[in-house]
Amino acid sequence: MRAAQRIRDPLHDLIEFEDEEFERALWDCIQTPAFQRLRRVRQLGFSELVYPGATHSRFAHSVGVFHTARLLMEIIRESEGKERFSRTKSQQALTAALLHDLGHGPFSHAFESVAKALKLPLVEKHEKVSAELIRSTEISEILNRELGGGTANDVALIIESGGPNNIYDAVVSSQFDADRLDYIRRDRLMTGTQHAGIDFRWLLANIEVGSVPQGVDQTSLRALPTFILGPKSIHAAEAYILGLFQLYPTVYFHKATRSAEVIFSELLFRIHSLTVNSDVKYTGLSEKHPLIKFFKSPSDASIFLQLDDAPIWGSLPLLMDARDAAVSDFSRRLFQRKLFKATDCYRKLAHLKSSEWLKGDIRSRAARAQIKDGMTSRIKEFHAQHVLSKGQRRILTDAGERSPYRKIQESPGPLNQIHIKMHGGETADIGTKSEIIASIQPFEFFRVYTAKEDTEAEKFIDKSLKEEIEKHANQL
Amino acid sequence: MPTNYEIVENIVADAGGRIVGRTKLQKIGYLLSAAGFDDTFEFEYRHYGPYSEELADAARFAPIFCNLCEAERVAEWGGSYSIFTTETARSADAPEGRLRLIEIANDADPVELELAATAIFLAKEGYDDPWEETAERKPEKAARGRLARAKRLYAELAEIDVPRPLPQF
Repeated sequence: MRAAQRIRDPLHDLIEFEDEEFERALWDCIQTPAFQRLRRVRQLGFSELVYPGATHSRFAHSVGVFHTARLLMEIIRESEGKERFSRTKSQQALTAALLHDLGHGPFSHAFESVAKALKLPLVEKHEKVSAELIRSTEISEILNRELGGGTANDVALIIESGGPNNIYDAVVSSQFDADRLDYIRRDRLMTGTQHAGIDFRWLLANIEVGSVPQGVDQTSLRALPTFILGPKSIHAAEAYILGLFQLYPTVYFHKATRSAEVIFSELLFRIHSLTVNSDVKYTGLSEKHPLIKFFKSPSDASIFLQLDDAPIWGSLPLLMDARDAAVSDFSRRLFQRKLFKATDCYRKLAHLKSSEWLKGDIRSRAARAQIKDGMTSRIKEFHAQHVLSKGQRRILTDAGERSPYRKIQESPGPLNQIHIKMHGGETADIGTKSEIIASIQPFEFFRVYTAKEDTEAEKFIDKSLKEEIEKHANQL
Repeated sequence: MPTNYEIVENIVADAGGRIVGRTKLQKIGYLLSAAGFDDTFEFEYRHYGPYSEELADAARFAPIFCNLCEAERVAEWGGSYSIFTTETARSADAPEGRLRLIEIANDADPVELELAATAIFLAKEGYDDPWEETAERKPEKAARGRLARAKRLYAELAEIDVPRPLPQF
């Protein structure tokens, strides 16, 4: 079929939208203000401060996810055959693939974390916002008019349901979903990092549709269809998981990128506090600024749509002039890239003691958790005693844990596992067949950030960390 | 003030010393939170319904810091499930409503408990018809009469005298 529209993409080259009803409807969705807004939301938030090439947008990623989803859907079409293939479910899943990131706020996950901490109901999860925007904006009219009444709701449901219910949904949400298959490659390309390469074509050539058993606790449920990998792709699957593992420390949780994120979060907390306390005049922003309007009406989707990275970057010079010292300082730091310096507590722990402390067993993890809790309490006390100005914290913390592949015992379910079809025909969890995958420990970090010039805070952290480590030294 | 680990230990103790399944523990934790007995843990919507990362962490480390044991078993369907046990006695001053809620939830089928907890979560989120929404989100789990049984389970839970009544729907 003749392509009606084309997009030139740095990862996939030409992405074509065919001249037929369904893809024309998707093209119309792309033209809406809600989707165009994604051009102004960077895929990797502040990563550009570390990798100057990483300026790619959620717009490009979303179109790339649709393209990849269409490739995966072909595998389902071939597997199901003409009789069983559901055109409706396929179209719903492809639409969900295109629209899944509609609800990302400025700087994506950093904004989401702040919204969650502030309990802002609309935006605490981007999937929830995406679903709301699909149901409430012009996109809803397009989908219901062109693809049948109720389509917008069905698409929204796929995004917010938290996991796949059928093989079509697996295109949007599974270990081999189109989202991951696009971002792992796109983020690698755009950051310029040379590791984390995956054999995309080979993986795709070896994906099959199979079914895996599922259950809740000890109760069995009917097996669910999902993607499984053919026997010749175990090494490609290992590389895929290792690729994710490498991207965590080097890109997604890079210490400088995260420094910008914690500063941005502090800035948002402070602006929110001033806004809800009727002190907007101290922020440097006017009452009409989208951020102020949003903090005043956090459930208003139309105001949310005015927010993206652009008004935040654009307002930094105004924020730098704020009468509030915290707003002024944090915005200046973002504007000039004068970020806080990181103390990586777990690395220091390994340096002071031994790498035994970084193991993945429950005892080592518990010891680290105790040190983290101890440090958090001490930092709280420090702030109670030494505060630069009202509301400005001098020590910021950042902690997280990501596993590129969880053992079935720790995963949300069998559909989150990678299933490999062995040469004998049986299907197995890759974690039980690959020693490499079985040995991967989660990437876990606990970092404390202080201003470079704040030697008092730095010395406090250094002393506190040593004391906490000694306190828990007998736990291992 | 009890630590998060002790809160988990107390839940298992108030369940008579044994809870089978991480999902069941999560849903009991959620119901206690929804009913106003304990606001320690924050819950969000996940594939298995309301879920708290903090509760999961507390349960993971509790065997090290408290009198709680976790034994892992392989389920017939190939996944694994946990059995949490404690020798800690039921708290003497635990409200009757709390003990009753834990008892009913602990005796329930885990899938039906997940459906009931999900509907309560969605009702609190403002959905007009939480049962319909639950059925749409979990078609496989809601099938074979489970949704009807989950409704009966909810009705039983809703009758308990609790500090914060469960939403009516």
